[in-house]
Amino acid sequence: MTVLTLSPVRPRPLAVLTAAALALLVLTLVWSLSDARLIDGGPVWAKPMKFALSFVVLFGTLALVEARLSPAWRDGWLLRGTVVAMAVAMILEMGYIITQAAQGEASHFNFSTPYNAIMYGTVMAFGAFVLVAGVAVFGVAAARDRAARDRAARDRAARDRAATMGPALRQGVVWGFGLTLVLTLITAFTLGNMEGHFVGVPAPDAATIPLFGWSAAVGDLRPAHFLALHTMQALPLVGLWIDRRGGGAAWQVPAAAVIWVALTLGLFVQGLLGLPLIRL
Amino acid sequence: MSPDDLVGLSNMPALAGWAVLLLAPRGRLWLDVIPALVIPAGLSLLYAALVLAHFASAGGVYGSLAEVRQLFSSDWMLLAGWVHYLAFDLMVGAAMAGRMDRARVIRLVQAPVLVCIFLFGPLGVVLALVTEGALRLPPLSRLKGASA
Repeated sequence: MTVLTLSPVRPRPLAVLTAAALALLVLTLVWSLSDARLIDGGPVWAKPMKFALSFVVLFGTLALVEARLSPAWRDGWLLRGTVVAMAVAMILEMGYIITQAAQGEASHFNFSTPYNAIMYGTVMAFGAFVLVAGVAVFGVAAARDRAARDRAARDRAARDRAATMGPALRQGVVWGFGLTLVLTLITAFTLGNMEGHFVGVPAPDAATIPLFGWSAAVGDLRPAHFLALHTMQALPLVGLWIDRRGGGAAWQVPAAAVIWVALTLGLFVQGLLGLPLIRL
Repeated sequence: MSPDDLVGLSNMPALAGWAVLLLAPRGRLWLDVIPALVIPAGLSLLYAALVLAHFASAGGVYGSLAEVRQLFSSDWMLLAGWVHYLAFDLMVGAAMAGRMDRARVIRLVQAPVLVCIFLFGPLGVVLALVTEGALRLPPLSRLKGASA
């Protein structure tokens, strides 16, 4: 039986984590067909589903970047240790979010028992920090990996466009991964120290933005949190686009970073002022 | 011995098997066969003895929810059902661990998946199979750059 043979290439741990997050996403999809219970007005399975999808995107992005680093960095103790720490954080976060949701209990902003308070206030907060700090470590690796940069230059000279990171993509990864840490710390830890994610009190039947569940009636800090987290995809994509167009000036990615930061902080202030992203 | 005593007695080897599956190194035949064969076989023998002795007297079969409830209203059959879970979950857990090993899933990720099979059988099987399948399919199977 061919399926039972040893995988010819040992998958990177980041690929394994992406696959595991995908499995959790499948689990939440079948859950969504069978459970009509609500927590704070939203389906119980919505948060586990959003987090599973988030982990697929997070580890998938890191796996793509890691594949473009030099073996010395990829197999070094720093990145290996970072991936193990992030794996533990994912297991704790998803484990808690799913078991709470299955009991019809909130996982965030829930201090109802000492266990819930410690899990939310300490374990989840620390896990979230490990995850975004891990992203920043990969940004540092991309910045300092001289061997991969030299290889990219050789690949470009040989017109091998697919193999490694172009200069603008590298800039996008460095800026994007670093700013993900900074912006997420600002937005998520403000969010975490509030009573809930709303600024203002929405009516029980107030409109929300479909799919995301953000309030369309009162202030909500989650749109800013969303942009902050996805800086790590947005800026590398800008860099990739610049490289594909044949390269650009060195200021272009930093300029895009400034615009992205302004947008994120703009939504953050908008939320803090009690204004919804869009009023529906 | 009462059904109550036997639940405790059958839990112990099952837990030992799960501990081996979760924590012990793999690739040593004498150790691999403990959760994969030895303990499931022992529990299966116990199940066979229980079901032969008590199935008929419990009344009820598998045809409807009411019949199944009637069947499990006998403590002996309830115990047999529990031993069935223990035996099959461990055997399936060992099989899934083997599949994940062959797909080179790291042990840190295998551990929570196996705990899910231990506690919720098929739910964990879904996690194991999707994780393995996703790794074997592009684009994840194309993410090479592996050194070992």
